[in-house]
Amino acid sequence: MANPLLETKLYVPRWRHGLVARPRLKERLNRGAETKLTLVSAPAGFGKTTLLAEWLTAAPADNPSAAWLSLDQRENDAASFWSYLVAALQTVKPSVGASTISLLQSPQPPPIEAVLTLLLNELSAISTDVMLVLDDYHVIDTREIHDGMVFLLDHLPPRLHLVIASRADPPLPLARLRGRGELVEIRAEDLRFAPDEVASYFHDSMGLDLSAQDVAVLEGRTEGWIAALQLAALSMQGRSDVTGFIASFAGDDRYIVDYLVEEVLQRQPDTVRSFLRNTSILDRLSGPLCDAVTGQDSGPGVGVGKAMLEALERGNLFVIPLDDRRHWYRYHHLFADVLRARLLDEQPEYVMELHRRASAWYERNGEASEAIHHALAADDFSKAADLIELAMPALRRSRQEAALLGWLRALPDELLRCRPVLSALYGGALLSTGQFEGVEARLRDAERWLDTTADVADMRERADTPSAGMVVVDAEEFRRLPGSIAVWRAGLAMALGDVTETVRHARRALDLVPEDDLIGRGGAAGFLGLALWASGDLEPAHRTFATGMANVQRAGYISDVISGTSVLADIRTAQGRLHEAMRTYKQALQLAAEQGEPAPRGTADLYAGLSELQCERDDLQAAMQNLLRGTELGERTGFPPDRARWCVAMARIRKAQGDLDGALDLLDEAERRYVPDFSPNVRPVAAVKARVWVAHGRLGEARGWARAQGLSVADDLSYLREFEHLTFARVLLAGRAVPDAMRLLERLLGAADDGARTGSVIEILVVQALAHEMRGDSAAALVPLERALTLAEPEGYVRVFVDEGPRMAALLHAAAKGGIAPGYVQRLLTHSGAATGEPHARQNLIEPLSERELEVLRLLATDLDGPEIASQLMVSLNTMRTHTKSIYTKLGVNSRRAAVHRAEELALLSQTPAR
Amino acid sequence: MPLNEGGNYEIRLKGHLEPRWADWFDGLTLTQESDGTTVLSGSVVDQAALHGLLGKVRDLGLPLIAVNRRRDQ
Repeated sequence: MANPLLETKLYVPRWRHGLVARPRLKERLNRGAETKLTLVSAPAGFGKTTLLAEWLTAAPADNPSAAWLSLDQRENDAASFWSYLVAALQTVKPSVGASTISLLQSPQPPPIEAVLTLLLNELSAISTDVMLVLDDYHVIDTREIHDGMVFLLDHLPPRLHLVIASRADPPLPLARLRGRGELVEIRAEDLRFAPDEVASYFHDSMGLDLSAQDVAVLEGRTEGWIAALQLAALSMQGRSDVTGFIASFAGDDRYIVDYLVEEVLQRQPDTVRSFLRNTSILDRLSGPLCDAVTGQDSGPGVGVGKAMLEALERGNLFVIPLDDRRHWYRYHHLFADVLRARLLDEQPEYVMELHRRASAWYERNGEASEAIHHALAADDFSKAADLIELAMPALRRSRQEAALLGWLRALPDELLRCRPVLSALYGGALLSTGQFEGVEARLRDAERWLDTTADVADMRERADTPSAGMVVVDAEEFRRLPGSIAVWRAGLAMALGDVTETVRHARRALDLVPEDDLIGRGGAAGFLGLALWASGDLEPAHRTFATGMANVQRAGYISDVISGTSVLADIRTAQGRLHEAMRTYKQALQLAAEQGEPAPRGTADLYAGLSELQCERDDLQAAMQNLLRGTELGERTGFPPDRARWCVAMARIRKAQGDLDGALDLLDEAERRYVPDFSPNVRPVAAVKARVWVAHGRLGEARGWARAQGLSVADDLSYLREFEHLTFARVLLAGRAVPDAMRLLERLLGAADDGARTGSVIEILVVQALAHEMRGDSAAALVPLERALTLAEPEGYVRVFVDEGPRMAALLHAAAKGGIAPGYVQRLLTHSGAATGEPHARQNLIEPLSERELEVLRLLATDLDGPEIASQLMVSLNTMRTHTKSIYTKLGVNSRRAAVHRAEELALLSQTPAR
Repeated sequence: MPLNEGGNYEIRLKGHLEPRWADWFDGLTLTQESDGTTVLSGSVVDQAALHGLLGKVRDLGLPLIAVNRRRDQ
């Protein structure tokens, strides 16, 4: 392990001083080792960690291997908590979790449940028992982490056992686990030392034979609290009048730890006392760090720290080794708290100096986050600000924006305002975490130090000569600031839906960002492209966005390129260039394939995009297979496809299959799952739903939608509302308001023609043809239809015609008779027949089987038994059972035989796997 | 009553805690009572701060006897 601090967190404590055989507790822990969760819940100083450490140390070799994680405040951040948890598991199972870690550290990691599923799948395959101990779990108060733990417990593989030690009961479903016999608890009452244990503790560990009376008094005063007993034992060493000491301490009401620490310290030489007090501010202790904090890091004192720590360990003075090399230690928490409180009371101003020294040591040793932590504790804000500014590029790369924001919030505002780099990056971090309100103010703070009215060359020059009062540590970042600010402004405007401002800031950013800042230029061009798209300037939008993506790709941010693909393909689709849209997705899939496993984030969405195009061409089988492929890929990589888009694509297939209710259910889900992003919402799900209502004859609901959107024939037209207006024209037509519909369609056609949006033009023409037909003027209908056919044929459109049903079929017949595109029309009519006749091979299920499940299903139809099927699929028996259960649920059966029977009925077994 | 539920609180603990702990408990007043308990009292800005104080009590292993909000203001 490269990082020594990480190592100290994963170290399984192995100390065994003061060992008292406590068979009743060991027996209970052994029982816990066979169940899901063991909870050791008791106040500070009750010996929770010691009990677990001694139990694990004494465990026979055939006992489960133990992974250990000592938590502290820093793990209150979900990403870092789960990373450490996986790292702990890797100490005993090195092969698990590599992809989990890379997922957690990826930009915009997927939901934690997806990440944990991946981890659990790997863990379900382990063949020996593993105990995972989470010590000091009470420091965790992040809801998200607790939720993840609940998920973990719900899906815990049989070979994995959790042990949680905490000062407070964790917010996990303890009652449920207790009820199912899946929880073993050890609480304060169990941990208390009984009189006979007190006696043997003093005898065995300290060589003190106490009278029964003394034991009773001690036990009564300490209530069996081991922290107090340990301190008492230390205070009694070398004392002649033990009984007198016990009596005086039993007769004192003082907080027992205070009293006893005082006693223990009294008996130490001055050097030890001051060492303990001064180093109490440290969460972890090493010799060199202690030397630095105690001011012994030069001259004859060097090395004192190491010797002192070793002496303290030998003397049982509450230091706990954190590794096997005797390099890192910590104080017992309770002891450290008492020492710190004394220090704070006696020399409050000195506390700051100690933190400053610790910060400096960590800075010299390259531990930025520890250095920042101590600088903040020292109230040395300007030092902290320097450190944060320097650490920022690395933090942004690893997407630790949450930690970054935590530190920035601890800095006083007036100090931040003098630091343009910090202010601007603060704004950027807020933007990237979706906290839009504070962004502009921070950017403006930064900008005060840059002359915004000056021209570009002038501004770059100014950036080289800092103004008075301004503080800049990272000069390189400062030089880039004018461009970075403009990019973030563009992003903010886009997030707030202000297209004009987005264009303005993005153009400015392109002027300011230097050529070699690929990400900056990529971001600026990306926002400009999106804004142009939103305003309907499709060709410039495509060109600009593609240029931006090329920069992003050159900078190596492949998953951002993959995720941007749908923008380019959607623009091509709006332009009616289906071939190019298809090619765009295929190129991106190629790029994703070149990255190897696991596929980059966003890859699963490429399949959804491809599916929509195939659906338009009425290749429903391929469309369905690609959607399922996306889902399966998401399960494998932990990056599930965007659920809203997936549902819309699936609804489209359902609609094409004539399953309108199924389509509506999916669209409901899409509406719930839709998460706005920077892309313009050019096809609102509500409008897609209104179209299905129209096709369903549910005109009341469709009209309700139009009313709610405030749509009217006289509206100003814009590309952003084109889809809704065209939907509205369909609603009007369905209500026989033909003249109104025709007026709107005429205007829509003009606008779409002007914007060269051939995709829209084709659909408008189709609806126009239907409007003429509805008036009884079939001859007039053929005029727009002919133009639609001419535009659509080279791109292979099918559903835009076929979806319109028998009315359109009749018009197409008439067109063919009149010699209009007879070959193409014939093809369309064939599809039309297919759509109204027998559905072709498809899954007539509410929830379709995944490809993996189809594979399992095919094997279920053979003579192979469970373990054989599992080995054929190269999965654990457990995973195979999960698949089987899911298949049964989806098919509504409860036996293998019934499943095979039902599968035959639905012709599922004959479907070829997509590869 | 303010929404953040700050105010004057009294936290009663078992055992005598010396006044030197006042700084540790963010400047609250410590009063040792004759029944062997200690009362921490003073103004607490909101519920989060109150829970922070209770966490500190917990971390010292001090048995908590009562928490009261004084209604005299």
